[in-house]
Amino acid sequence: MAKLIGGVGTSHVPSIGAAMDRGATQDKDWKPFFDGYIPAKKWMADKNPDIAVVIFNDHGNSFFLDRVPTFAVGVAENYKPVDEGWGPRNLPDFKGDADFSWYFVDKLVENHFDPLVCSEIEVDHGLQVPMELLFGHPDNWPVKVLPIWVNTVQYPIPTPQRCWDMGVLLRKVIESYPSDETVVVMGTGGLSHQLQGSRAGYINRKADLAYLDGIAADPEKYRNMSREDYVETFGSEGAELIMWLVMRGCMDKDVKLIHKHYHAPASMTGAGMVILENKD
Amino acid sequence: MADTQDTIPVTPLFDRPRALRGYKMNKMANGLGNPANREAFVADEAAYIDRYGLSDEEKTAVMQRDWHEMVRLGGNLFFILKITAVDFIPITQVGAAQASMDHDDFLRDRLGKNI
Repeated sequence: MAKLIGGVGTSHVPSIGAAMDRGATQDKDWKPFFDGYIPAKKWMADKNPDIAVVIFNDHGNSFFLDRVPTFAVGVAENYKPVDEGWGPRNLPDFKGDADFSWYFVDKLVENHFDPLVCSEIEVDHGLQVPMELLFGHPDNWPVKVLPIWVNTVQYPIPTPQRCWDMGVLLRKVIESYPSDETVVVMGTGGLSHQLQGSRAGYINRKADLAYLDGIAADPEKYRNMSREDYVETFGSEGAELIMWLVMRGCMDKDVKLIHKHYHAPASMTGAGMVILENKD
Repeated sequence: MADTQDTIPVTPLFDRPRALRGYKMNKMANGLGNPANREAFVADEAAYIDRYGLSDEEKTAVMQRDWHEMVRLGGNLFFILKITAVDFIPITQVGAAQASMDHDDFLRDRLGKNI
């Protein structure tokens, strides 16, 4: 059966991609942010997983408001990086794993999750940036991806508890998939930020730092928070952190916090990451 | 317009009333992800906006790049931000406008940057 090798939570701020594109990773503003990902890249290279499940939200690039899936799953063999309007980025296409994706979709529906199933779709910075941060810029990505889109833009967004439950199911799916492949699960988005309204620019460093430790040691706290709690604590767009719960729900109750990193502000966002492994 | 679900002060949740109110503006702005639309916008901004049936109030807010007003009228940053793919202004400038702050003050006092 396939094996879960760990969970990653990371920001997916588009300015991170823009900073890489213009070679600004060593600039004063950005160096501390990118330096914190060096150990994470090393961990990923050492683990060398076959499949990355990436949980993220679209930002008006693959879905507009004409149709807003609460959850969507990619079942394609190939995902092109979308041009979001600032020009095409120099990134290789992402290879999918249609067999694993369809297996996941079957299990989701059997278990009363009912996602939109996407056979032809592009992926925006929500997937691109985490992949670049953890895998660098190889000629070809060393893993296949299974994209899961979560609506965090138009209300009603799914509850934190629902995201967690999808993670619990994802674990069962991975561990029942007839394959000897290894899987990493990456929950993305956050941390605290707010782009709109007069509270724009809101960053809650204290809550962000508590989250990075708490998502490892005390995840029930974050599982039990309401959507309103997320918005109030982390800002309207910081509520993206509910997507880390899919990753956390996938892991054991007791985990090792292998690495954490925080830097604020990255553009207008409290940015950072964790790497978790099950204790065994 | 029905009441929104806002319970947190100064935080506009993108709920049903806002999504309905801002639909045309967001659609117009999101269209700028397409290079041909960006060219049309640059060539004749008013004509491009008119394709989407915006009201005069909405059109004025867009043409004046009044970000605060655009959000008040139902604009959502994820969509209206694509206007900055034409203007090339940083998102922090849009943020400062939301907060009604000077850009440097916004960077220092809201984001905690050392400037």
